[in-house]
Amino acid sequence: MQSYLKRFKKIVFTTLFAIGAFNTSVSADTLSIGVLLPSPIADVGWSNELVKGFNGIKEKYGDDVTLNIVENIQEGPDADRIMNKMVGDGNKFILLGSFGYMNSGLKLAQRNPDVSFIHASGYKVADNFSPFTAKYYEGSFLMGMAAADLTKTKKLGVVGAYAIPELISTINGFALGARSVDPEITVDIIWLNSWFDPAKAQASAKALIANGADILFSNSQDTPSVVTVGEEAGAYVFNLNGSMGEYAPTKYLGVVKTDWGPFFSASVDAHLNGSFVGRNEWLGVDADVVVTEEWNPDISAEMMAKIKAVEADITSGARHVYDGPLFNQDGEQVVAAGERLDDGGILGIDWHVQGINTPLPK
Amino acid sequence: MTPLEFFLAGTMSAATVFLLAALGELVAEKSGMLNLGVEGMMAISAAVGFVVTYQTGSHLIGFIVAGAAGIGISMIFAIVSITFLANQVATGLAVGILGLGLSALIGKNYESFTVTAPASIQIPVLSDIPLVGPVLFQQNIVVYLTIVMAILISFCLNKTRLGLAIRACGENPKAAESLSYSVFKIRYGAVAFGGLMAGFAGAYASTIYTPLWADGMIAGRGWIAVALVVFGTWKTGRIFLGAYLFGMVSLGELVVQSFGLAVPSQLLTAMPFIVTIVVLAIISSDRARLRLHAPYSLGETYDGSEPQ
Repeated sequence: MQSYLKRFKKIVFTTLFAIGAFNTSVSADTLSIGVLLPSPIADVGWSNELVKGFNGIKEKYGDDVTLNIVENIQEGPDADRIMNKMVGDGNKFILLGSFGYMNSGLKLAQRNPDVSFIHASGYKVADNFSPFTAKYYEGSFLMGMAAADLTKTKKLGVVGAYAIPELISTINGFALGARSVDPEITVDIIWLNSWFDPAKAQASAKALIANGADILFSNSQDTPSVVTVGEEAGAYVFNLNGSMGEYAPTKYLGVVKTDWGPFFSASVDAHLNGSFVGRNEWLGVDADVVVTEEWNPDISAEMMAKIKAVEADITSGARHVYDGPLFNQDGEQVVAAGERLDDGGILGIDWHVQGINTPLPK
Repeated sequence: MTPLEFFLAGTMSAATVFLLAALGELVAEKSGMLNLGVEGMMAISAAVGFVVTYQTGSHLIGFIVAGAAGIGISMIFAIVSITFLANQVATGLAVGILGLGLSALIGKNYESFTVTAPASIQIPVLSDIPLVGPVLFQQNIVVYLTIVMAILISFCLNKTRLGLAIRACGENPKAAESLSYSVFKIRYGAVAFGGLMAGFAGAYASTIYTPLWADGMIAGRGWIAVALVVFGTWKTGRIFLGAYLFGMVSLGELVVQSFGLAVPSQLLTAMPFIVTIVVLAIISSDRARLRLHAPYSLGETYDGSEPQ
């Protein structure tokens, strides 16, 4: 019994040592990139788009760059522990893939000035900590126009994850786009209060359809949960980040795609030549980060032409989604005609535009 | 489908996930086995059931294999806690975590894949009645079978010799043994049944209720099933009520939101938990009765069959 225990101990210690040895073997010549993701990497979805953003870097630097990806990590203590370990293991460039990693990520960045961080969806900045966001609302505005062309009930439905500014501004953009075509259109939202619950997302989509919506906006579901319901129930549906068109062959309205490649490559290059500066990276249609495509053929040619014209105007800067006059849900004017909601106002938006029925959870 | 029809019909399908798993856990607990691994058992069966259904195209085969997977993982719990007399709480938690991890591994290559849900039943005339038709007579066959199962389990536990033996093992295993029941066999059987039902619950969740696979899709539903058994005070009828109540309030939340009523959505998200806990706490507030229904030896290992 004694010797058995001893042998067992030996095995355990050897194993632990081996694991430890593995992790510290980051050589100085290569760059190790740590990637922390909130959901599993699938063929589609948010996490997949973030990982794809590093393809250009892998091609450029080959074996000199290693990606250390940890997927499906909930915001909270687990995420804190893992991002600390990433830094401890010698990763010098770190991508934090979710809003909720912000506060502990920022603290970690302040303790480790030699490590560069890019953080998805956040707003806090440090010298070595850049939040990055896509101007999804530019794409959702265009989708709203398409939705207005196709809706018969004049009711649009949104399945939202959490009521954070990024999602609120996207839904507002959707409503503004639709109502720029037809002011009678209204928008209903169901907030899941979860980033990941496919069953609840599907039930929500069905609830919206039961309540009369015939166009669905799957706002930040990483699985095709809402998209498949749309196809089954005959409601046009679109989503953000990556195409889910294969799950809705006839009812896919289109996709507001993000291409992180150019931004990630520029950030890694900046880190390597020492010029990385933390700043708010807010990227839209004009930076080719937000791309709308896979438009449903049911959209009328007339409307498609209008959409393309608006897209060109947004790209050139002649038009802005948040151009006044803008009214809130109570009908009060928030932005006057001729004025424009400033960047801070959009990044921290905490009100819904007129035409959205659902009150904003506070 | 009107919002009301959606609400009532959705309640039945949402409740089925909880009810299936809770019924299995009830039988296991009645025999004295507290298996906290339900979440993990459901997750692994959901993954296995999905993969098999995806590959074979048959929901029936998916259910059978998922049930087998549920039994398989519950046997790990049984061997460790019944044969080797380990602490049931610790073992159940460990097996649950193992199940969650394995489910991610099994489903890895199927992430975000979808299958088609089988068509709901259609009964001539009955299914076409307004409101009542879509709610009561257009559900998936599993919804009805689960209700039948609840009745059978209630009958078995309370009115049959087998039920008496199971309950005896949970109340006083020594007494059961002296009546020449094999506590060992009965507890193994009860745990296996719990695994089977958790397996069905998982398969229902991943192939019928939400016909897609995504890691973490059980999202705490196994824990709710465990809680329902306790709050339902180990009575089939109350567990049934609890499952339907929870399903109803969780769907009600979505309907209320879609109507645009001015209620904070965070509060609505918490409602199913609050309402279910409050209602079940009220109906089980009689502590004497509660003690009467809780298996006296729940969670205790039994080594009486071994020489002292």
